[in-house]
Amino acid sequence: MQDMQTKPNGPVAAAFIAAGIGSLVLGLMVVLAEASADIKAALDFAKNYGLGSGVGPLSGKVLVATIAFLLGWVILHLVLRKKEVNFNVAFIVALVLVGAGFLLTFPPVFLAFEAKG
Amino acid sequence: MQLTERELWTVIHGLLLGTLFLLAFGGGLAGLWSLRVRLLTAEGMAERSPRLLIGTWVMAIVAWLTVFTGTWIVYPWYRAAPPEGTTDLTDFPRSLLLADEATAQWHEFGMEWKEHVAWLAPFLATAVAFAVAYYGAQLARRGEIRKALLVFFALAFLAAGIAGLFGAFITKAAPVA
Repeated sequence: MQDMQTKPNGPVAAAFIAAGIGSLVLGLMVVLAEASADIKAALDFAKNYGLGSGVGPLSGKVLVATIAFLLGWVILHLVLRKKEVNFNVAFIVALVLVGAGFLLTFPPVFLAFEAKG
Repeated sequence: MQLTERELWTVIHGLLLGTLFLLAFGGGLAGLWSLRVRLLTAEGMAERSPRLLIGTWVMAIVAWLTVFTGTWIVYPWYRAAPPEGTTDLTDFPRSLLLADEATAQWHEFGMEWKEHVAWLAPFLATAVAFAVAYYGAQLARRGEIRKALLVFFALAFLAAGIAGLFGAFITKAAPVA
């Protein structure tokens, strides 16, 4: 069993940043769906790809964010799995991304991007 | 005494999974908080590590189940559009809320926030569960990671809490029945 002093923190940093990426992408999808009717229609994965019935654009927003989370995690894990990184920096990056996700999913913020007309 | 299919799924989504999430959060938070070398013997750490692992994974899995059941099962019933000419909107909660200025904000602010912010919880909870599985009892000696886990754990709870709270209020104002 690997000793904890030598067990790299890279995989944990990867998971944290991936959660941040998923959060940010969700926020961006929410804003883009408000800003463009075309994007909103494209994000209706339930209607466009038969992934559910009556879910609407929420289906695309959350599936894109989930894929970004999983894909980001796999890539970052492969890159960082044997590395000892500055965890405080990784955590701050993850927190900023998560914070952006919280902010962009707050209605007064994303509704400010609402397409006019 | 009976529940319709819609009421049953609402109970599963909001009450059963929500309660499990709360229980797992409480246990996980206490476990992470007290997982410190100065507070525990080696035996104590070995004894509580499996419990912490189970608690964090239960929270992550329940978070995923909650958002999937909410988004793909309950939400379509909530947002269904009434056929033209419908005057009784009881079976169409979104339209019912929007029909009255006094309740419109439950949808325009409450539901709009809830349906999105809830999805942050499984991302955050999964990252925490993975870290607990990766380090196990060794987390007791990785203070900076343990503290980061506590923050992410609390943020996952905040996201789920916002969604749960608005879910309860919206169900009170316009139930999916």
